[in-house]
Amino acid sequence: MIELKKNRLVFSFPDVHQEANLTMEFQRTLRIPDDGTDYLLPPGLGAFPLRHVDDYAQNVPESWIEHGGVMLPMYQSEAMWIAFGFGYGVNRYPFAVKIATGKINAVTGKEWQNGLNRRPQDYVVVPEQPWLDGYCVEKGVIRQFVAMPLGAGYSVEEQLTGEAEYGGIQIIAYPMKREAYERIKDRWSDAPVALASKALKVGSAKPFAMGLAPGGRMRQNIYDDTFNFEDWELEHSSRCFVHIANALVWRAITGKAPPTVPPTAKEYTKAGLPWFDLYDGDKQALEGAKGLKGIKSVLQFGKEKGDVPLPENETVDPKNVVMLRHGLRKDQVREGAF
Amino acid sequence: MSAFGDFVREAREALRQTEARFSVRQVAARIGVQPSYLSKVERGDVGPPSEATILRLAEDLSEDPDVMLALAGKVSSDLLETIRKRPRLFADLIRELRDMPDRAMLRLVREVRDGDW
Repeated sequence: MIELKKNRLVFSFPDVHQEANLTMEFQRTLRIPDDGTDYLLPPGLGAFPLRHVDDYAQNVPESWIEHGGVMLPMYQSEAMWIAFGFGYGVNRYPFAVKIATGKINAVTGKEWQNGLNRRPQDYVVVPEQPWLDGYCVEKGVIRQFVAMPLGAGYSVEEQLTGEAEYGGIQIIAYPMKREAYERIKDRWSDAPVALASKALKVGSAKPFAMGLAPGGRMRQNIYDDTFNFEDWELEHSSRCFVHIANALVWRAITGKAPPTVPPTAKEYTKAGLPWFDLYDGDKQALEGAKGLKGIKSVLQFGKEKGDVPLPENETVDPKNVVMLRHGLRKDQVREGAF
Repeated sequence: MSAFGDFVREAREALRQTEARFSVRQVAARIGVQPSYLSKVERGDVGPPSEATILRLAEDLSEDPDVMLALAGKVSSDLLETIRKRPRLFADLIRELRDMPDRAMLRLVREVRDGDW
């Protein structure tokens, strides 16, 4: 089951194990320039607010109510990363987590399917994978998740299917089997921790729904699953649809202001604030997804359309780089450093 | 020895295995108490600290504040206020919920609804 607590999704499987808890947060961040450079990890600028779509049923499109789940606000061309964490305490129960945008898998580029597939691996393994910043386009390189209006053609969903039907983010999490966790638990725990007011009369989701599109390139590995595939508890799963509302209509939907516009990469870097690099040399990474190889970045797509989708796209050269060791909890550093 | 003190020490020590910043001295500094006081709390030589200090400690150790308050024999002031407003209703409700399985309780807390997609 999934609960919403303080802008976090909390997945729990008490029927599998009392420790089978996973939290997920959607972090605001800088949009890295889309200039061919493979950038380091940008910071976390705090979590996006998350709300139940059912709480605003009068103000959101009918399709959102049909999909269920939660919603968050993003500005056009704003970036995000997904942080995987754990429940209270130091237990770190393993999960296989499948992430899609517009029902296109971010790791494989294939259309959404429930269930897990090992070869090619279509999921990330947490806690080994502390975060996911974008689409797995090459081995060791992702293209950043960047919000663009659904229907404008930029989203991965539209590029691959020709349709602007879903948008948003789709997630399904599978816990490790109880017996498998009990078998590995001792050595594992020694490892480093890493309302409706005035109705808007909304017919279609498209005027204010956002989809995620591929932004600039970033160095990031999607790790190979080191567990036995049989150790995943495929009988138990929880899934969630995370709708993305254009931040400009967030107040009209919820009555609350959206977060402010994040700084540009140039402003942030000029202020001497830190970027991050992760040492994970001993870990095996997945190859880039064949299905994502041909997708165009927001900039490339915009140029072909004659648009300027990313007004602030100047190259930056980060000098202040904080090296992270794999296993440190991401929120300890990327959220708390400034 | 106290359940609260043991819990704090175990949680802090588990974190200190990988991060030096979870020493008694550094945790005490972050939550605004003397290291000697935190040591006494962990040993059970003194009673649990105030609600505000427990909340800071829970935040620092990434532990559930409600669990820590319960171990200290306290109920958070926001919950107390809620109960005070409708005492009879909440007393009945809590007694009704006493034997309910965790899963059913969690449904009451409210799950994120999955739909058709």
